[in-house]
Amino acid sequence: MSEKNREGKRTARERMQEQRAAEEASSRRKKKLIVGGAVLAVIAAAVVTGVVVQNERSKPETPTAAPAGTIGDKNLVIPVGAGNAPAVLTVYEDPRCPACGIFEREFSSTIDQLEDAGKVYTNYHIVSFIDRAVPGKGSRTGANALACAQDAGHFRDFHDVLYRNQPDETNDAFGNKAVLLNLAKQVNGLDTPGFRACVNDNKYGGWVSSVQQDFDKSSYKSTPTVLLNGQPVYPKNGNDEITPENLVKWVDAANQGKQLGTAGSNGQTPAPTSAASEANNPSPNAG
Amino acid sequence: MAGPAAQPGGPAPTPSARRPVPVWSEWVGTVVRLALAVVWGWAGLAKVADPAEAAQAVRAYEILPESLVKPIGYGLPFLELALALLLVIGLGVRLVAGVSALLLLVFVAGIASAWARGISIDCGCFGGGGHVDESQTKYLQEILRDTGFLVLAGWLLWRPRTRLSADGWLAG
Repeated sequence: MSEKNREGKRTARERMQEQRAAEEASSRRKKKLIVGGAVLAVIAAAVVTGVVVQNERSKPETPTAAPAGTIGDKNLVIPVGAGNAPAVLTVYEDPRCPACGIFEREFSSTIDQLEDAGKVYTNYHIVSFIDRAVPGKGSRTGANALACAQDAGHFRDFHDVLYRNQPDETNDAFGNKAVLLNLAKQVNGLDTPGFRACVNDNKYGGWVSSVQQDFDKSSYKSTPTVLLNGQPVYPKNGNDEITPENLVKWVDAANQGKQLGTAGSNGQTPAPTSAASEANNPSPNAG
Repeated sequence: MAGPAAQPGGPAPTPSARRPVPVWSEWVGTVVRLALAVVWGWAGLAKVADPAEAAQAVRAYEILPESLVKPIGYGLPFLELALALLLVIGLGVRLVAGVSALLLLVFVAGIASAWARGISIDCGCFGGGGHVDESQTKYLQEILRDTGFLVLAGWLLWRPRTRLSADGWLAG
């Protein structure tokens, strides 16, 4: 049989097979394109939906309800002391942060005295990021309760009570509203139906989230962050360790030659006369 | 059924026909596919609850400009969930595995970059994220974990045909 003859005898069956294979290949390609398109469409739709939905959910960055007397362009800051005091002490604190508890139990009476003497105007940023790292919601419910106390005019007293009774970081006692309401009874005049409703309804939840988002965008990464006239002083101011005595010294130096602000405790319990720090152990019955 | 389509009476498979893959390997592929789906599903769900937290986890890497932090923080969990869904049903497995591998490489690069620059963050891989104490960073574990996930994605890139998949059903 010659080559030519064999060529000529390529049967119809072989040609049909080739054609079918080509068709199958083309249909496989088409299927692949459709599947690939569908996959990319699903991914794109999910991402777009996600961005839109989460954007909606993370609102409002400027909260609709802020506690009375808060300051700053978005009313995210709780001020304590006389507004005309010459020095500003800025404090970023999380209700669950153990280092904040240690700081407060050592410094709160000193800071209260500086406020009452018209020497400092303290600006509190009550952040709530421990909840992200340690399971629980005590940072947020605690911050909301502090906002409620601010609304009622008892922020400083309740703030001091909370930190004196701070549970261990892993114990989410502040996530339990009953614990917060119980602690509020230690502050004269705070335990009112309005305050209880504010805590139970998480009235300032949006505000709390806004304060945290503002902290997220700041350059500060941990709590407590303490600034005296914008200058970090915790844990050290330059080479000097922060102590109650040093803090007073630094404030007095900064206020040198300036008119002090209005003295008085602005409706809070007046500061103790001695600067003795609180017993530095959280109350065991907070939980 | 899966497997090369038999050509009725045909002498040999056409050159374009797939090399036969042993059945056990297709079952391994199914397990790998579902395992990767669990990884993405878990990662996505953990990040969906708190958008601000997810955005902060992205911001903490200090790589992206602020204008991209939120879109990525908000969109990423949904991308992960979409990958999980596609892996569960087994649609476009090779493409999805490719996207997964790419994403994991980006994550590993991000973590390595944070490590190299000496910043202290949690990777935020499964929720959380943001700055942590220097003693609490786990960069090596995070990279090794992601590398393990990368092996799963690599398997599916190599052997995308798996049992109980939409791909197999479509090829039917």
